[in-house]
Order: sequence, then C-alpha cells, then structure tokens
Amino acid sequence: MERFRANLMLCAGTGCVASGATKVRAALEKELKKRGLKEEITVVLTGCNGYCAQGPVMSVLPDEIFYQSLTVEEVPKLVEEHFLKGRPYEKLMFKEPEKKLAIPLMKDIPFFKHQVLRVLRNKGLIDPEKIEEYIARDGYQAAAKALTQMTSEEVIKVIKDSGLRGRGGAGFPTGLKWEFASKVQSKVKYMLCNGDEGDPGAFMDRSVMEADPHAVIEGMIIGAKAIEAHNGYIYVRAEYPLAVKRLQMAIEQCYDAGLLGKNILDSGFDFDLEIYQGAGAFVCGEETALMRSIEGKRGMPRPRPPFPAHKGLWDKPSVLNNVETLAQIPLIILNGSGWYRSLGTEKSSGTKVFALTGAVNNIGLIEVPMGTPLRTIIYDIGGGIKKGRKFKAVQMGGPSGGCIPESLLDLPVTYEDIVKTGAIMGSGGMVVMDDNNCMVSIAKFFLEFTADESCGKCVPCRVGTRILLDMLADITEGRGKEDDIETLQDLSRDIITSSLCGLGQTAPNPILTTIRYFMDEYESHISQKWCKAGVCRDLCTFFIDEELCKGCGACLRACPSKAIIGEKKKPHKIIQEVCVYCRTCYETCKFNSIKILPAGAHEPKHMLVETKT
Amino acid sequence: MIELTINDKKITVEKGTTILQAALKNGIKIPNLCYDKRLSPYGACRLCVVEVEGQTRLFASCSSLAENGMVVKTDTPKLRKIRQTVLELMLVHHPLDCPVCDKAGECNLQDLTYEYGKTETRFIRHRKESPPDVRGPLVELSSNRCILCGKCVRICDEHQGRGALGLIGRGFPTVVQPAFGEILECDYCGQCIDICPTGALLGKPSKFKARAWFLEEKDTICPFCGCGCTLTLGIREGEILRSRGKEDNGISEGNLCGRGRFGFDYIYSENRLKTPLIRKNGELVPASWDEALVYISDNLRYIMTAHGSSSISAIGSHRCTNEDNYMLQKFMRDVIGSDNIDSSAVFGYALVEKAWEMAFGENRHKIKLKSPFGKEVIFILESDLSITHPVFALNILRAKKEGSHLIVADSRETKLTRHGSQWLRIKPGTGAALLNGIMKIIIDKGLFDRQMVSSRYFRNLEAVLKDYTPQAVCRITGLNEEELITAAEAYVRAKSRMLSLSISVSENTKGLDTILAATNLVNLLNDSPDTLQIPAEYCNTQGAYQMGVRPISHQLSAISYQPEGKDTLEMLYNEDSAIHALYIMGDDPVITFPDSTKIINRLRALDFLVVQDIALTETAKLAHVVLPASSWAEKDGTFTNAEGITQKVCKVVAPTGQSMPDWQIIRNLALRMGKDIGVRNLENIQKEINSSFSYQLSAISYQPCFNPVNYTSAEEPDKEYPLTMVIRDVLQHSGSMSTRSKALDLVVSEALLEINEEDAKRQGILDNSHVKVSSRHGTVYLKARISDEVHEGNVFVSTHFPHARINNLLYPPSNGLSALCTVKVEAVKHP
Ligand SMILES: Cc1cc2nc3c(=O)[nH]c(=O)nc-3n(C[C@H](O)[C@H](O)[C@H](O)COP(=O)(O)O)c2cc1C
Ligand code: SF4
Ligand code: SF4
Ligand code: SF4
Ligand code: FES
Repeated sequence: MERFRANLMLCAGTGCVASGATKVRAALEKELKKRGLKEEITVVLTGCNGYCAQGPVMSVLPDEIFYQSLTVEEVPKLVEEHFLKGRPYEKLMFKEPEKKLAIPLMKDIPFFKHQVLRVLRNKGLIDPEKIEEYIARDGYQAAAKALTQMTSEEVIKVIKDSGLRGRGGAGFPTGLKWEFASKVQSKVKYMLCNGDEGDPGAFMDRSVMEADPHAVIEGMIIGAKAIEAHNGYIYVRAEYPLAVKRLQMAIEQCYDAGLLGKNILDSGFDFDLEIYQGAGAFVCGEETALMRSIEGKRGMPRPRPPFPAHKGLWDKPSVLNNVETLAQIPLIILNGSGWYRSLGTEKSSGTKVFALTGAVNNIGLIEVPMGTPLRTIIYDIGGGIKKGRKFKAVQMGGPSGGCIPESLLDLPVTYEDIVKTGAIMGSGGMVVMDDNNCMVSIAKFFLEFTADESCGKCVPCRVGTRILLDMLADITEGRGKEDDIETLQDLSRDIITSSLCGLGQTAPNPILTTIRYFMDEYESHISQKWCKAGVCRDLCTFFIDEELCKGCGACLRACPSKAIIGEKKKPHKIIQEVCVYCRTCYETCKFNSIKILPAGAHEPKHMLVETKT
Repeated sequence: MIELTINDKKITVEKGTTILQAALKNGIKIPNLCYDKRLSPYGACRLCVVEVEGQTRLFASCSSLAENGMVVKTDTPKLRKIRQTVLELMLVHHPLDCPVCDKAGECNLQDLTYEYGKTETRFIRHRKESPPDVRGPLVELSSNRCILCGKCVRICDEHQGRGALGLIGRGFPTVVQPAFGEILECDYCGQCIDICPTGALLGKPSKFKARAWFLEEKDTICPFCGCGCTLTLGIREGEILRSRGKEDNGISEGNLCGRGRFGFDYIYSENRLKTPLIRKNGELVPASWDEALVYISDNLRYIMTAHGSSSISAIGSHRCTNEDNYMLQKFMRDVIGSDNIDSSAVFGYALVEKAWEMAFGENRHKIKLKSPFGKEVIFILESDLSITHPVFALNILRAKKEGSHLIVADSRETKLTRHGSQWLRIKPGTGAALLNGIMKIIIDKGLFDRQMVSSRYFRNLEAVLKDYTPQAVCRITGLNEEELITAAEAYVRAKSRMLSLSISVSENTKGLDTILAATNLVNLLNDSPDTLQIPAEYCNTQGAYQMGVRPISHQLSAISYQPEGKDTLEMLYNEDSAIHALYIMGDDPVITFPDSTKIINRLRALDFLVVQDIALTETAKLAHVVLPASSWAEKDGTFTNAEGITQKVCKVVAPTGQSMPDWQIIRNLALRMGKDIGVRNLENIQKEINSSFSYQLSAISYQPCFNPVNYTSAEEPDKEYPLTMVIRDVLQHSGSMSTRSKALDLVVSEALLEINEEDAKRQGILDNSHVKVSSRHGTVYLKARISDEVHEGNVFVSTHFPHARINNLLYPPSNGLSALCTVKVEAVKHP
C-alpha cells in the first residue's frame, strides 16, 4: 500500500454496490487518469464499511477522511479539490445533524465513534482479495503463534479465559466446545465454519466473509490446531456468491503461502480446508442439519446427544463455529484473554457485530462492546428514528428472537439481559420499529418465515408453527376470537418445550414477546377489529380530521388511488370506496390530520376522541 | 453399568442405553411413535418426552442416554399436557377415517389418542393437501393418514438397504413418497407396513378383508428360505388373510421379506390337489385314498419282488416337516428296505456337509444369523444373500453400518455390492480362482498361521496355488491386481472375519470346489470353521438332511459321508442306475433341477412314479399316482432352519380337500403294505426322532485338512454362444412353490432374462421384448429385461417359473455341480 500517496478505500460491499459504487469507481479511475494522478493515487475496493445508509462511501488513507453519498457527477470536483488542490471536499462529508457542520474524520462521526472494531478491524482498510494486505495488518501471526509456540491445551485455555461465546445464536462458550472435542480420541476430526446466515435481513457474517475472509480462515486454522482436526469445511450459502468467491481466493492464496495443506509453516501440522455451498434452507444453519447437509443428505436436524463434539460430520468429532466467532480468534491469541475481556461484561465479554436496520437513520453494520445500552446503539450510532417518529420496539435475534419495547431501552446488550426480555442476542440482527409498525403483523412476518423454513421433521414445529401462523393471519384479517391470545400463548409454550431443534424451540418467541409488551394491540385487533398502525388492511379505515386539516393538498397529490378530494385550504376528504389502505396519505400529512380508525368506522368524530388520548 | 430411577423404580442398565430403552426393558411404558429399536433415534414425534429431576427442559427419552443417578418421571401433568398437544397437532391432518381403515384396532395413533387425546381439538381448519395415494401391487400408501414419523423411510433405507421411500418437500407440506418415480418399485418386503404406526401403509392383498379385531393371530414358521422367520398369521373364518412380523418375535425378531409376508397364499392356488389321482388310460383321474394306496402298495410290492428293494428310491423334501421326512426315510428303510433316499440337498447342503467333513472333520454345518455382528471384515463370495436369505443379509447390512468392512465378490450389482466397502467385480463362476489367488498372496506375504504348515496336505495346497499368481487370477477373474491385493490384505489383517456364500440347485456359479477353496482359506488362517457361513437353502433343508433323507447306510450310527444308497444324481440322471420306481415327496425336479429334458425322459422310463405334493406340479403330471398333501399351514410339525434350530410349525387352517399331512400318508401306506412302523401320531414320531438322533451333535474331530482345488473353467463364450448364463433366484420367489402365490405373482410373474444394454443393442433386443435363448443343449423363449446391474457378456435368469423351463438350457450336473453354460440370445421377430 505504501507505494501510493493516497489510497481511496471505496466500499464495495453489497449495500454500496447497490447505491452505485461500481460506477463511482469507474468515474474515479477515469478522473485520476485524466488528471495524471494514476501513479500516485489508487482506488482500493474494500468489503462493507458498515455505513451502508450513506453509500457509496469511501475513506481516504492515510488521512482518514471520510466521504459519503458519492455520485459520478461529484467525482471530478472531489478529485480536483482534494488531490490537486489539497482541500478535502466538504460537500461530500458527513454533516453533524444540528448545525450541519462537516465532520471530516471517520473516527469523529457519531456512527463510528461509539463503535469498537475488532471483528471488523480490517473492514474498509484492506483489499480482501489480497493476502499480503491481511498479513500486513498482523494477519496469520496468531496462527503462527498457535502452531509453533502453543500447545492445543494452551490455545484452548486462552480462548476459555477470554470468555468468548459463540456468535451464531446460542452463545455457547467457544473454549469449552473446543475442549470437549479435543478430549475425544479420533484420528479424523473436523473443524467447521457456519456461514449459512439464514436470518432474514442479517448480513454480519456475509460482510465479514467478504471484507476479511482471511480472518475467518485464520480462526479455523487455530481451532483446528486446538482440537487436532486436519480437515475443515466452510459452509456458505450459495446465495452469497461474493463471499464464496473471496473465500475461495483466500483459501487458494493460503495453500500457495503454505498456510493450509501439509506441514503448515513448518509446524508439522496439516489442515485442509474446503468450501461447501449450502442450498439455503434456514434449518441448514442448525449444526446437526448442517453436517447432514455436507454429507450430501437431506438437511434435517437430529437429536442431540450425541453432540457433534463426539459424533458430528460423518460421525466424527466435529466443532462448528460461527463466522464472527472465528474472526475473533486471531485477536485473542495475539492479544491475550485479558485484553479481550477488557471490553464487555463478566458473562458477555468482547464486542458484538449487529446489522442495524429498520426505522433508524443510520442503518448499517456496527460493532459495539458488549454491555452497550440499546439506547446508545439506536440513538447515537443509529442516529435515532427516521423522520423524527416515535420509537416502538427493537427486534433482536430474528425469527428466533423477540421485540423489546421502549421501557427496556436502557438495557445493556449482553446475552443474559437480552434473554430476560424474551428476545435473544441471536446472530446480531437488530431491526428498529417505529409507530408505523403493527406488532401483530411483525409476529406474523416472522412466523411466515419459520413456518416456511421448518424442516418438517418434528410434529410441534411442523404443524404447530403453521397453526400459529394461521391464527395470526386470522387475527390480522378480522377473524380473531376472544380466546385466541390464550391459545396462542399456550400453544407457543408447548411448541417451545417440545420441539426437536432450535428452530421450533424459538419460533414462537416473536409471538410471546409481542403479546407480552403489546397485548393492547392484539386486543384491539381481536375485539375492536382495529389495527391502530393501519397496517392490517382489513382492520382500519383512513379518515381526515377536518379540524386539523389545513387543506395543503399534499395527501391529495400523493394518493396513488386518487381517493382524496378537496379544495385548497379547505378540509379534504377520503372517499372510502376508492381507498386502497396504502398509508401514503398518513405518511405524507405534516399536520397529523390523517387518522386511522377501525374497519368500517362511520362516525369519525366519536372515534377521534379515542385516538387523541 | 448405569443406575437410574424411573418413576421411583431403581433400574440398572448398560451404558449406552437410552432412557426409553431402559424404561421399556423394565416394563415402564413411555408413549412413542417414531422409535424402533432397529433404527437410529429420530426424535420427531416428541411423545416420548420425560422429565428429569434438576433439569428444566424435557428430554426426548428415545434419544437421551440414561445417566448415572438420573431421576426420571415419565408421566406427569406437564408431560400429559405436552403429549395431548402433540397428538392434537398430529390429528390436524389425519382424517380420522378409522371406520374404513384396516389399521383401526391395532393402530398406535388411535391407541394413544384414546389414552391421551382430548375429545375436541382447537385447530380444525388447518389441513394440508395430500398428494395422491401411492398404489403398488402389494403396498399401498395413503398419504393423508401419514403422521411423518419417518419410520418407513428409515426402515427401508437404514435397515432394508433399499431407500425406496423418501420424504419429499419441507415443513408442513412434507409427504412420504416413493423416492424415485411415482410408483413404488422396491423389494416388497413390507417392512414399512409393519412399522407404520398408522394406517398410512397397508398391505394390498389383505385390504378391506377384515377388521383387526376379527383376526385371530397365530405364529408359525415361514415356509420359504432357511432363515426360519416367525410369521404371525392373521386368520379369519378359517382363511389366512395376512402375515406380519411382530417386534422381537422369533429368531427373525419381527423382520420378514416379501415372500414370508405375501407368499403364503400359494396354499390357495387353484392348482392344489384335492384328491388322489391315478393314471388311467394315460390320464390322471381322481381316485379315493383307498384305491390310491392299494394301487401304490401293489405296484411297489411287485417291483420289490421283480427287481429287488434297491430298484426303488425316494426323494424327500426341504419343504416338508422333519416328521414328514423322517417318515419317508423310515418307510424306505423299514418297509422297502432301501437306502436309496435323497433330496435336492445334493446340489447344495450335502456339498457343504461333505466339504466340512473333508476340511474340518465335523459334520453338520450350522450358521448363526447373528454371526455378521462385530466382524471386522465380512467377505461375500458370489452370492446374493439379500435374495436367498433376506433376513440373514439384513444382519450383514447392519454389521456394515456398525463398522464392518464388507467385501463383495460378484459379477453383477446387488444390494450387497451397493452397500459394500469393496466390490470385486469378478467374472461369473470364478470364485474358486479368486480364493486361490487370495491364499497365494497370503502365503507369499507370509501372513498365514505358520502352525498350519504341518497340517495335512499343506504342501499340496502350496503346489496347487503356484499357478494362482495375482496376474493369473486377474486374468481369470477380470479383476486388477491392486483390488485383489487390497481385498486379500483387508481380509487377512482383520481381527475377526466372516466368509459367506450360498449354494443351491438354483444357482450355477459355485460348487464343491468353491466351498473347498473357502475351507482352505479358513484353515490357512487357522480360523474356526464358524468363520465360514453357508446357510442351508430352504425352510427345512437342514432338517430333511438330518432326518436321514440322504443315501447313507441305514445303520444311522455310521455318520461318515459314505453313500450306501443311490443319490438324487443317480436316480435322475443315470440311465443305467437300475431304478424302476421312484417316490417323490414335495419336490418338482422337472422344474427345479438341471436338464429338464433328461429328467423327463428318466421319469417317463420308470415303471412306477408316485408324486406326493400339494399341487399338480410338472413332475406330478408325469406320475402314475399323485397324492394330495396338506400344505405347511394345514399341519403340525417342525422345521429346522439354517441355524440348526428346530421350530414348531402349526396347523392354522383346515386341510384342502382330502389332502393329508405327508407323514400320515406314508404311515397309511406302510399300514397298507402290511407293515406297522410303530407310529400312530406326531408325538410318536417326535419321540423317536429325539431318541435316534441324540448322537448327532457329537462331532469327531480330526486335524484341519487342506483340500486343494483347481479352478475349472466353465464353458467359454465363443462366436456362436457369446454370453455366459448365470442362474440366480429372484427376490420374490423361492423354488417354484412361490410362483403359485397370486400376491408374489403380481410383482414378478415370469422368468426374465436380464441383459446388459450393450449386448441387447448388438442383438436388436428391446426392453420387455421376447427373446429366444439357446445353449448347446436346448432352447427357451423368455422376456428380456435390460439392466445395468448386469455386466456385458453375462445374462441372468432364474429357474422359478415352470413355463420358462430354463433348465432345458443346462447340462446334466456332474458332481452335484450345475455348471455355467454359454448361450446366445436372439430377438424374436413378430410377423
Ligand atoms: C434453526 C437454526 C438456524 C441456525 N442458523 C445459524 C446460522 O445461520 N449461522 C450460524 O452461525 N449459526 C446458526 N445456528 C446456530 C448453530 O446451530 C450453531 O449453534 C452455531 O453455528 C455454533 O457456532 P458458535 O458456537 O460459534 O455460535 C442456527 C441454529 C438453529 C437452531
Ligand atoms: S416394502 Fe420394503 S423395500 Fe418396499 S418401500 Fe417398504 S420397506 Fe422399502
Ligand atoms: S407412512 Fe407410516 S411409517 Fe411412514 S412416515 Fe407416515 S406414519 Fe410413519
Ligand atoms: S423367506 Fe426367509 S427371510 Fe423371508 S420371511 Fe421367510 S424365512 Fe424369513
Ligand atoms: S419416540 Fe422419541 S421422539 Fe418419537
């Protein structure tokens, strides 16, 4: 990297590519060439930078100036200002929200300020397709140390002492898992990586595999050494072609560099690593199903015990770890368990990566110390709720997790605290919801997912999730019955206690937590046939409150169905027969004069009183 | 040992036992629908959940191991609640059509619902669309009744090694369907029917015949192969309607093959004999018992006086009971005064006995159905045991699953080659050469037991083996040297071994030389004779042999294999044997022995032929007198299986027409001939058998002895007859008896010539077209089936089907060996 005066670290993560990074790159290169800067300044494509919300983004090294929302049109100006005139280009910098002052340095931007990057340490800083760049940032030193200076027991001890817990969802102590497998005698053992990442909307693992594939491989080499495995697989879903490509390149580079294969780094240790592309069923992320899947069989979970540490892949002792878990390993080996524990809490040490999405201003990939309060994540890093709306809940743990309400926002993010809410830490999905969300519909969304992804093996999950889903559909479509809430809770609890694998054991969580914190929403759906968020079409009517309406006509223009009539400066009116319940007017009106009333409501005046309270 | 407490009861079990097994063993019931002890734990039905003290989560007892100090509760309000919910969920799409379901009354789902279920369900509307039912010839699947316990899929795959059923789809819409294609084409073992806890899988032949509670169930022994499985027959109003295996019942422990399950209806064939028949003016016409017996006794007496006792001989039956066979030989020896008695064993079991005596100095070879378990290496030589001895082969598959290294030498693909660790694809009939080659490698590498050098004829063995270098053996067998050496080393280096093959009249790739080569290998490694497992072929092959149905001296105490009387080969193939009368009980040599033409000529030349059988067989059609015998289900008695275990066969239905048990016919005949052989009833016979055979088990032991054999090449294919014809049984049949079963006929009803695609192409033969098959000896017409399981240059046929007359193609046997022959196959042009 040193050859150049400046490196333009352009994010080529999926988010930025979607917002135009490829075109920006072409424009940058063209411009640099035109200006004769090609020899001095280079464009490096990096993995996801995390700040997807402002993409395409780029940071300039070594000065660490951060540019966002790049466009092809702005590129000539940027090159001219920054690289010819030496004046960083303010227009494309992050603006502090209040006074709109530009913040040039990445580390000063609030989105980055509260984060601590360990897993994501290399994101945006290296070209993931070049092993030299990984090595330049201390890469493979940990592997070398583990292979040549440490015994298996020592490796396991450091990891155990670090308190590292599996990031794949269950939070099982990684060191302990390794210890179990290391104690089983067997000539053949397997070290496996779980890159299936099936949670809808999650992209933590994909980002790590794309941005820093060598970190995962290094973690696997160390794990293999710890349990004395000589073969490994990285299980990646086939829907992640870029991750597959990068990992494949990285593996080949490792073989060429003697970091994989026979006698790694002359240590006498052998380790072969392959990629297995999964067909993409959610349940294949479950460890026993994942192993069946690698064996070429139908990916269905099997009862445990026997645990994989005893009988895993092809009935041989195996360890399966999540991508993020593995990416932490090299750091712990290099810096020690004490360093690792310096962040986080007693039972939840270190940092955790989250995919922050939903109704926050800054969506993206973030990494924070364990124990960071939810409020900090949502308001400081996430920049608060979009359009100044009201926060309603944050969903954690995806389809296995639950919704945490406003009253619990000061909760520190740790395994123990999250579980108490009825949600789970999960793999790191964090979806923020505002008052536009209907919680019954949210529960239904997740149940649709789990019912669809249930492998169909065990009865409670196969039939039970389908019935839960059908009942939620009934409630959202106006067929809810008095005792439905009780039945939902009762059946949910039975499914949780009796299902075979983690999928069924957690699938009802979204229902239980929404009932727990948003019971009134269920009740109004069932007894008043009223979805107050206006999401369930069968359970709402949109009205314009004549007293509040200023007659600005914004809703009239926005309505795609031309259901609104009215003259300028006079109260407008919605023609119910034409309304398609799209919520556009509700979101457009600046004066809060659109009201959502129960299905079939005819007397707005009477109902309005109630909505105001 | 593990100590735990279940429902306050202290229990001790072996390590590795699951909680469910521990409970069941101690008479504690835990409901379950997806557990079967033959299968690996599945954990899908969730009914077997239990509470463990100190643990908040519930344990699925079928898949949780019992641990020391565990305190388990199997029936608490919490558990009842869960089970209720689970059943309620199962019933969401189970149609509750019990009134029209055969399973009702013995349905696990029904029973559990009765025990746990609530009378109402909270979830009525939610059903899935089930795919159309699968209707096969013998097995029917009604998917809407299926609760997806997966047992059928697993028994078929894990246990039966077939994998004909699969779970299709995922989640709620999952269904069980044939794994390949729309119709179920499989082994038709019906194991899936027995294991299905609901009425989703049912046997077609018995469908809608009787409600379970009207069936009276009786156990008896299967009349087909030498395994000796226990059949539980379901009888209603004097008719057998079905047969099934019951868990843990009998030596088969509930396993059955398709023959045992569906083949019993051969006793209802139209072909059954109902009265005696006497040939008058060239026609067989009905006669009374009296008439028939008088006629026989007169003729036999006449021949005895005219040509002497030794001109009369008899053939006994591997299908008849010990008592029947005992009576036949007693009749021959005590009434006629002749040792001319033998059976089809001459083509199989007798050869094994002979080899045993020559090699180990022991008589009476028995196998153990469980011997495959725990063997490091299992070596199967040119034998399709999954067809000849299905339940024995299940144990081989299970042993393989549990870690045995399975080497299979065979010229065609079979279930065993598919599951094997190594498949030696040898040319047909070259097993002896292969064994010689293996011994040569062992000797050259010095891997044998030095002690054996001093055994008798070791030097001769060494000398003979000189010519069996790997190169030479590979030339003969068609293997490459590496696979030969790998197999030899795997075999010899194993700490425990089993070598198994089958031998019978319906196969033509092995003979005495093959068995001797196998005994040499056993001796060379100083293994116990038990290493070699050669199962007796039919339900009572071993019993008949033991009863003295063989041409030994009638002083039964002499046990050496010294034929005194004439054996089957003499009787049927030697024109100069001076036999004038033949009494055949329960066998059909015309169809099942080699060279039908020769046999027919021999039988026609006899002065007097009596055939006593259950049906009018091709052989019976040539007889002077035909006597109607009762079938296996119509009489009491015993069979001795390949393990040497004598098991009771019961009369479960009334005899057909005027038929009588064979032993009774012979008793009556003896009386008619003026000789009371002192037998009144079955007990008399059994007592007599017990006292006269008590010496049997004391073996004389001499030194193990080598009997070097050379591989003799079979007829070599040439331009004119380019294909080698191999004779093998098909799975659904056993001898020719099973072809009279309507049920089995639905699956395979005619002899098929299996031919490789390339060979077929060369001759312009299409799948399922008629072909003309000729050897130097004869010609037959068959239907061709193109099969990639068969290697180029070979064709496979079976001898079960009377009309096919396959045996016309074969040469008369020499030394009990029905040799391989070459054939040409031509397409039949339809005008
Ligand atoms: C239905 C289901 C889906 C899962 N999917 C994933 C996944 O996509 N990625 C993952 O790392 N772990 C997943 N897990 C968790 C894995 O079973 C396993 O616990 C994890 O990969 C172990 O790695 P860790 O100890 O590093 O967390 C899933 C579990 C269940 C029950
Ligand atoms: S009858 Fe036997 S082979 Fe056929 S599907 Fe059932 S278990 Fe499988
Ligand atoms: S058909 Fe019967 S055995 Fe097979 S899965 Fe369904 S219920 Fe179980
Ligand atoms: S034929 Fe053999 S394996 Fe099949 S059921 Fe009868 S005895 Fe058992
Ligand atoms: S018997 Fe244990 S889950 Fe079915």
